[in-house]
Amino acid sequence: MRDLLKRKLLFVIGKGGTGKTSVSQALALAYSRQRLRTLWVCFEDPTLGPGQLDRISPYLHHLNCEASLAFEEYIGLKIGIAPIARFFLRNPVIRYLSKAAPGLHELVLLGKVWHERLNYDRVVIDMPATGHGVAMLQSTANFARLFKGGPIHRDAEAMLATFQDPAETGCLVVSLPEEMPLRESTELGELLHSMFPACPPAFLLNRRFPQLEAGAIERDPSKWSTPIAQDLVDYARKRSILEEHNLRLWNGIDYSVLPFVTPGSRSEVTDALSHFLAPAIAELDLRG
Amino acid sequence: MTQIAPSTIDEILSSRRIIITCGTGGVGKTTLSAALAVRAAQSGRKAVVITIDPAKRLATSLGLSTLGDAPTDLTHLLGAVPGTLAAIMPDTRETFETFIRSISPTPTVAERVIKNPIYEIFAKEFSGANEYMALQRLLALDRTGQFDCIILDTPPSRDTLAFLDAPELLSQFFEERFIKWFILPANQVMAVGVRKALGVLENLTGAGFVTHLFDFAQSLFETRLRFAADLKAVTALLESSASSFVLVTGTSPESAREIGDFARSVAEHKFRFDGVIINRTLGLLDAGTPSTPGENAALRLLVALQTREKEAIGILKGALGKAPYFMAPELARDVHSIHDLIQVAQSV
Repeated sequence: MRDLLKRKLLFVIGKGGTGKTSVSQALALAYSRQRLRTLWVCFEDPTLGPGQLDRISPYLHHLNCEASLAFEEYIGLKIGIAPIARFFLRNPVIRYLSKAAPGLHELVLLGKVWHERLNYDRVVIDMPATGHGVAMLQSTANFARLFKGGPIHRDAEAMLATFQDPAETGCLVVSLPEEMPLRESTELGELLHSMFPACPPAFLLNRRFPQLEAGAIERDPSKWSTPIAQDLVDYARKRSILEEHNLRLWNGIDYSVLPFVTPGSRSEVTDALSHFLAPAIAELDLRG
Repeated sequence: MTQIAPSTIDEILSSRRIIITCGTGGVGKTTLSAALAVRAAQSGRKAVVITIDPAKRLATSLGLSTLGDAPTDLTHLLGAVPGTLAAIMPDTRETFETFIRSISPTPTVAERVIKNPIYEIFAKEFSGANEYMALQRLLALDRTGQFDCIILDTPPSRDTLAFLDAPELLSQFFEERFIKWFILPANQVMAVGVRKALGVLENLTGAGFVTHLFDFAQSLFETRLRFAADLKAVTALLESSASSFVLVTGTSPESAREIGDFARSVAEHKFRFDGVIINRTLGLLDAGTPSTPGENAALRLLVALQTREKEAIGILKGALGKAPYFMAPELARDVHSIHDLIQVAQSV
C-alpha cells in the first residue's frame, strides 16, 4: 500500500458497506495535511448537488461528479465550437443517447476524473460498489474497442494507458474481516490485476475488531451450535475468533489494516482513520 | 386504501403472495430472504425464495447446488411443517440473452441484436437489465400457481431504488419514439437535425459506431411489441395488492435517507411498502460479564455501538412514517445449516 500512496490517481474500490467512503475521505484528508493539492471524488451522490465542488480546505476539494454535466463538458472540449456543441447536445437523439447509451455514463465519469488529474497533486476516487465499480473501468476498455478511431476511441485508449500505468494510478481494494467481503475482494483483486496486469491492486482491511485472548470457546466457528450470540461479551469473543478464522482467506495476500475505530459521526471516524494513515503518507517524501 | 396494511412479519408473510426484499449490498438481505421463506413455510404457506448469488455456504445449507429456473423442494429439511419450502438460484448470466430471444419475433432478429457489438456493452453494463430479468422470472414463477408466498431477493445494486426504476430504464431502449428517430424520422426538419447530429457523433466516435447503433435500434424496434406486453404484465403484478416491498437496511443513521427515498419511490410507483428490517443489530443483546481487560475494552466498544444504534433507530423511525420496522440480530457467525436459518427466522 505504501507504494500505492505515491500515485496520482487512487481508485478506492470494494464491496458495498466496507467503508470506501470513509477510507477515501481519510486518505484525501491525510494527503491534504501533507500540503498536497487533493481532489476527493464521489460519483452522483444524491445528497450533494450535481457537479458540486466543495473547498474543504486550501489543499482539499470534494467533487460530486455527475455524468450529464461531465458529458456536456467533454463534448464542449471535443467539438470546440460552442454553437455546434450546443446544437449537438440539444438534439433529442443525442440527449437520449447520452442518457441511455450503456457504458457512456461510466466512461464520461471516469473521463472527468482522468482530466482532473492535471489540476491536482492527488485524486482519490470513492468508487461505486464492486460490480458497478468494475463495470466503470471495463467501460473504458469497451469503448476503446467499440469505437474504431475518432477522438472518443483515442481518449478511451489514453485513459486506459493511464489507468494501467503503475507510475500514475493505483487501485486500493477495501474489505472487512468478514467472509463474503474477503472472498469477493480477493476475486475483485484478481479481476483488477487481469485488467491492468502491470498495476496490481493493494489491499486494505478495514474495521479490524480488537483481538482477544483465546478463552474456552471452540476455535472452529462451524462447530458453534448457533449463529446467535448470547450477549455482547460472547459476541466479542466469537467475533475475535471469527475474524481470525476468516482471514485465512487472505493468506498469501499482502494487506494493510485499519482498526475498528470507536463509533462516532462520520467526520470523527474519518479523522481517526486519517491520523492512522498519516505516518505512512508522511514517510513517503511525497513532495519530491 | 380499503385494506389494512400488515403490521407484523407474520401478517406480511400471510397476506402477500409476492414479497420483494430490497437493500444495498452487505446488509444480509440474502440470508434474511431465505429466513423469511422458512418462516412462511412454518406458518403454512407454500413458500419459495428466489435467491440471487447467495453465499456458497447458504446455498449449501439449503441443499442448492445447481443454477437454474427450476425450484428445488426443501420442505424435508424443515421437519414437520404445515407449509412447503422451495428455493431457486437463477443463473444471471444467461438470462438477458434468453429474454431477447423470447421477445424477438424471429430467431434472426434475436441473432442480430445479440451479435451487435453494442449489445455486448448493453447486456454487461446496463444497470437495470439484471433487475428486470429478476422480475421476469418472478412473473413466470407466479404464473405456475405452485406457490402462494414468493420471496424475491433482488440483485445487489448500488442503491436500493435501482430495482424500482429498472423497468422504466429498460423501457427507454424500446421507446418507439426514440427508435423511430433512427429508422423513420417523423418529419423532414427532424430528419435533417438528426442526420447532422449523427454526423457529428460519427466524427467523434469514428466510422462504424453509428452504423451499429442504427442496426441495434432497428432490431430492437422489431421486439418492441412483445417487450411492451411483457412490461405491462410485470407492472400489473407489482402494482397488485398481492405484492409488496420490504427494505433491509443496516443500523447506521445514514440509512434514514435511504428509507425515506425508498418509501417515496415505492409510493410514486403505486407499489406497496410493508416496512423495514433493520438487520445486524446489537440492540437485542445484554452486556454479559467480561473476564479480561481486553474483553472489557471490546465490550466498551460494543456498548458504544449499541448506543449509536439506538440513536440511529430513533432517526430511522422518523423516516418510516406509518410503516412498521423489525429488528434482526447481528450474528456471531454466518448461517451454516438449515437449523441456523430456522433460528434466524425466529429471531426477527
